[in-house]
Amino acid sequence: MSETQKSEKPKKELTKSQMLSKKITEDYMNEAFRAHELGKLIGYTTAISPVEIFVAHDIIPIYPENHAVANLTAKKGAQLCAVTENLGYTSHLCAYARSDLGYRETGITVTRGIPEPDLFLACNAQCFTLTKWFQVLARRGNLPVFVFDTPEYIMDKKARQEIIKYCVLQLKELISFLEEVTKRKFDYDRLNEVMKYSAESSRLYKKFLDMAQYKPSPISIFDALIGMAIAVYRRGTPECVEYYRTLCEEFQEKADKGIGVLPKDKEKYRLYWENLPVWFKFSDHAKLLGSYGGVILTSLYVHAWSFEFDLNKDPLLTLAENYVSRFSNSTLEDRADMAMDLFKRYSLNGMIMFMNRSCKAVSFAVPTLKDVLVKRTGIPALVFESDMGDQRFYSETQIRTRIEAYFETLDRLQSKVA
Amino acid sequence: MWENLSLKEVVELTKDPFPSIRKWVKEKGKKVIGSTIPDVPEEVIHAFGFLPVSLIGTDKPLKKAPSRLPDNACSLARSNLELVLSYEGDLFDGFVLPQVCDTTQHLSDIWRIHFPNKYMECFLAPRQVDRPSARYWVKEEIERLIESMGNWSGKKISNSDLMNSINLFNENKRLLKEIYDFKKKNPGALSNKEFFSLVKLSMQVDKEEFNKSLKAIKDQLKPQKGEGYLDVVLAGITCDPPEVYGLFDEIKLNIVADTLVTGTRYIQGIVPQDKDPVEGMVDRHMNRGFFSPIHDNVYRNFEEIKALYKENNAKAVIYIHIEFCESQEYDLPDLKNMLRKEGIPFHVMDTEYQTLSLSHLRTRLQAFFESLKGGAL
Repeated sequence: MSETQKSEKPKKELTKSQMLSKKITEDYMNEAFRAHELGKLIGYTTAISPVEIFVAHDIIPIYPENHAVANLTAKKGAQLCAVTENLGYTSHLCAYARSDLGYRETGITVTRGIPEPDLFLACNAQCFTLTKWFQVLARRGNLPVFVFDTPEYIMDKKARQEIIKYCVLQLKELISFLEEVTKRKFDYDRLNEVMKYSAESSRLYKKFLDMAQYKPSPISIFDALIGMAIAVYRRGTPECVEYYRTLCEEFQEKADKGIGVLPKDKEKYRLYWENLPVWFKFSDHAKLLGSYGGVILTSLYVHAWSFEFDLNKDPLLTLAENYVSRFSNSTLEDRADMAMDLFKRYSLNGMIMFMNRSCKAVSFAVPTLKDVLVKRTGIPALVFESDMGDQRFYSETQIRTRIEAYFETLDRLQSKVA
Repeated sequence: MWENLSLKEVVELTKDPFPSIRKWVKEKGKKVIGSTIPDVPEEVIHAFGFLPVSLIGTDKPLKKAPSRLPDNACSLARSNLELVLSYEGDLFDGFVLPQVCDTTQHLSDIWRIHFPNKYMECFLAPRQVDRPSARYWVKEEIERLIESMGNWSGKKISNSDLMNSINLFNENKRLLKEIYDFKKKNPGALSNKEFFSLVKLSMQVDKEEFNKSLKAIKDQLKPQKGEGYLDVVLAGITCDPPEVYGLFDEIKLNIVADTLVTGTRYIQGIVPQDKDPVEGMVDRHMNRGFFSPIHDNVYRNFEEIKALYKENNAKAVIYIHIEFCESQEYDLPDLKNMLRKEGIPFHVMDTEYQTLSLSHLRTRLQAFFESLKGGAL
């Protein structure tokens, strides 16, 4: 398609929240690319990490995962991953990491790229892969890595108190580490201010996700995945609060008017999705499921950023409590309870369990979690295996057939009940 | 049962120690606690009067594990899960499972759900060791394990119970170290397969009995340098199946140093006895050699292997890669480049639990060492 033809394509008018998201992202990246000029450092961090401490200390957080998502969604995964495999990395490592290392070799990206790091913060409440990936990047520049180690939030109450104590100790170490690197004293008053923004935006983000309670639901998981971006990279800022306030207003209006992702009479299946999305099949899946009256409403993944910070507590304590208890760091039993809560609150009647080769941290729980959820809900599950970003592991026909067969099963079950 | 074993018997038993463990447990009426690698303080389990048994995979076919852990999961994790789901689960009264990576974290959960009636505890090892909080956390975890095991068994242990166990386990490691030191200089007297079988069996059977065998074996060793041996460093986590050691023996490689959890990293676990036993076990944890999932110093792996190569005047480094071990796979390309830049010959062997045919490993290994001997590398 020529440039002229491209420009002739009618542009969809952006909503207020979309315009806001665009501006926030542009401002953020502009500042990040000028970080050193502004006397600031770039800290690479994991999407689930106590970034509030970075924000309070004027470290600009950059998330290589987000950049990877942009490339994987644009179907650059196979190309970039292959480059990394030629460096000696195996094809079954995380596609975020492989595509990122490929980007660093080739410069290929669908965005303007991301600035180079000065330091790293790896929080393993999300996964162990990110720690190892950051170590690879750190070796290239001989840069410091701080590992915020969050032991699994096991069910024993006393152990949990000890885990939190250990995490608080580490947050103090993180602050000392940042003070040493930047030669600046950490400002706890500023942290309190950042926590207020973070608590409020998290509350609003959760309110946005909970729009999935309405029938028909005005929100699908695809809205949630787009909507979560600002929560990931701008937590702790006033613009993040403003964005989610606007987003909530827009979706509340839809809910009040009865506008759903699918019209009320077409919304047959309200689905749960386990795992990250298949990024390069994002819109195809929405269309395919919609054609069967299915809409994926939620997943534990999108809820990972609906923190519940308690501003009456010491900020380090509430940070530790929230980050250590994310779904990805919880026991299988707790994960099942978290999913069951969504099944009940959103009246879900189907589930798609994605075995994502890239994400061992989430996927290795899937077979057992599926058994538990099927038993507790009585709802059959669709399980399929693929990769979130590497198209070479995606079998179009096989997955389409399985989705079709799954809806036939749900239809049959529903007609029996009827 | 294990107090008067010959080297040959040790090698045989290492292939499948479980029938003998079953027999011993029946005779002694003791409880058995299994743990996966690495770093569970087995002295604590022993001090309670239980038999600690390290689970280091099985060569029996996979039947149930693949439906729980997919084929891109670490092959040791799948093999261990199979070992308990299909073969030896009923032998154990409980398990203490360490968590060091995503796979071991999930493995603990899956394991617990499958054995709801057995004692289950996690050992949440810190995945950073260079900051003061790591030391604090190891101590907390050891104390939590003592409390948890006490609650389950209804027993209490004293510092003196712990010290007695530490004494016994330290003796085991000292004996292994002495035999290793002898073997390094006398590869003709003790093969790689024999020596590493001694270590592996030490991790699985009663030390009070097995130390007697170790002592007798050590006393019977006669110097024999042998001819044509090439000294090498073995790096990695575990080395299985045991026939891989047989390959090294076949082409006359003498392992003079290693970084294996089922090798030096186990022998390094001697607990200092001049202090409180828990503090001593914390010291031990902090001072052990590199283990990829828990060490945050990204250069330590390289530095340790390079030092072992130089100190021992070795001729090459062999790296045992366990198929689908994510931690190793992130480290390996850089490690390979760094060692090659130093001019250290480096050979990677891709191994998988349940593998029966080693012909491809043999061919590659032979080719590597032929070219090394010919000076082409």
